[in-house]
Amino acid sequence: MPAPPPDARSFLSEVVSVTPCGADGVLLALRPERALGAVRASRFFMLRREDGLSPAIPRPFSIYRQSGDSIEFLLKVMGRGTRALAACSPGQKVRTIGPLGNGWPALDGDGPPWVMLAGGVGVAPFHMAIEQALAGMDGRAPARPEQLFFLFGAANAGMLYDLAAFERLPARVFTATVDGSHGARGNVLELLSDLQRRGVIPQRVRLAACGPERMLEAVQHFADERGLECWLSLESLMGCGVGICNACPVPTKPDGPRGSWPNVKCCVEGPVFKSDEIALHA
Amino acid sequence: MAKLGVTLAGLELRNPILSASGTFGHGLEMQHFAPPGLLGGLVSKTVTLAPRPGNPNPRICETEAGLLNSIGLENRGIDYYLREIAPTLRAAECVIVTNIGGERVEDFAELAARLDAESAVDALEVNLSCPNVQGGKLPFATDPKTAEAVLRGVRAATRKPLFAKLSPNVTDIGEIARAVEAGGADAVTAVNTLLGMAVDWRSGKPGINTVMGGYSGVAVKPVALRCAWQCVKAVSIPVIGCGGVGKAEDVLEFLAVGCRAVQVGTSCFSDPSHIARLPAEIDALLEAAGFHELAARIGILQAGGGAPSCKPGVAVKA
Repeated sequence: MPAPPPDARSFLSEVVSVTPCGADGVLLALRPERALGAVRASRFFMLRREDGLSPAIPRPFSIYRQSGDSIEFLLKVMGRGTRALAACSPGQKVRTIGPLGNGWPALDGDGPPWVMLAGGVGVAPFHMAIEQALAGMDGRAPARPEQLFFLFGAANAGMLYDLAAFERLPARVFTATVDGSHGARGNVLELLSDLQRRGVIPQRVRLAACGPERMLEAVQHFADERGLECWLSLESLMGCGVGICNACPVPTKPDGPRGSWPNVKCCVEGPVFKSDEIALHA
Repeated sequence: MAKLGVTLAGLELRNPILSASGTFGHGLEMQHFAPPGLLGGLVSKTVTLAPRPGNPNPRICETEAGLLNSIGLENRGIDYYLREIAPTLRAAECVIVTNIGGERVEDFAELAARLDAESAVDALEVNLSCPNVQGGKLPFATDPKTAEAVLRGVRAATRKPLFAKLSPNVTDIGEIARAVEAGGADAVTAVNTLLGMAVDWRSGKPGINTVMGGYSGVAVKPVALRCAWQCVKAVSIPVIGCGGVGKAEDVLEFLAVGCRAVQVGTSCFSDPSHIARLPAEIDALLEAAGFHELAARIGILQAGGGAPSCKPGVAVKA
């Protein structure tokens, strides 16, 4: 019965800006009413307007960027929750619960290179991941730019959200779109296979992926087949984000490293899991 | 400061606010969001004899004005609860209520017997009404004889105060309330979730895996208020209101119809810290209205006379 992380709390933030991003996304910048410490990439916050426009249930979003006293989120506008947040005006207050969840493991420079696989809005936890990997995490050796491959896939160019910001980071950036409107035609795993075949990316790599569940299933399968270390940041339906509603169970591998209980809570035990801990297609 | 304390089944509550089962964890998971010392009590998520892994996904579906759930009473069972969770509750600074659920009448008595010696537990809430676990069978709270039998069994197994949590999905909730009172309940919790469903008309897929599930949230408040009032009229034991409580006004409305205390559920998902701010918000409302004692606001409903205070949607000339 895990409790939320000790630094999790509930507070109001003021909307600083809402900027369109890509075909159907926005960048939402918030200024929390009290300063936050540095937040680990792939941790998340539950966000909700309290003026009646948001649904009752807040929605989970990975932190996208953090600078000074503000935190930024990348939202794909999909339903009532994201529509309400995207319609915020500067100055508006937003209920902010977090930081929640575990975040990426140490993306260090001590082992094989990291391949970061982003699908659509699953790109959100990677901007800070690259920044933190380069700065060094948990006292481990920082990753060098040539050890970081960022592969960004989406249905089309309009869903390669904020690509320019990633291209400014000192990592190797590649793109793939299903319709071929940007980068390689195909999905992000086909792109990875192709880059490995061409020797651009070595065979022995470590994977970190975030995207739709079918993509993560495929990444898990890819990693299993090749015996690669692989971490998945899951997008899950959540009711509370803090471990009390039991609505985000992730099936675990029987008698795997996560113990004997058949599922774990994505919100407090994830959202990042080592791929050999969970059974996505259970 | 208005006096907010209430007594309930022999328990002293610093204020009438309890968490509703299933929305606040089993133990102190939420203590950093809502310190127990600010609440009247904590009601645990349901504990069953055997561990229950819960239902498959999707387990929740938000609708226009409420939330459907079909969690399936996921919990690690009474052994785990007694070993790992109850000891952490012994120093909790509020009333601790353990909610128990079972598939057979005897399960409840066994659970009560197991919990009887645990000093951390101040009272038991008997979950007669979860809509998501009986595999299509109706909950115990839909039949007065069965409901009474469950309470008799539990009463014989423990001296702790007993709350019986009832279902709104019945023809006459007052009849069930009388049955659990006869069976030995010390209080009635009214109510559990309404049975509901959702469907995507394009795909034909149901909103939750079990098709039907428990509906909660702001939309159910009028139904819950009606149920609570019917229970108040039917029994002499206290009634704890539950259903759609989000704001301080909601709490005072349940008290107005005669409830002694109120449970806050789905709104804990909107903001897990709000339940701890509710007592101060209630205090502010009472003081602003010139009332200095919350207990005096219990049962002030003027039924059978007086003009309705809630005007219909059409214009009415004074």
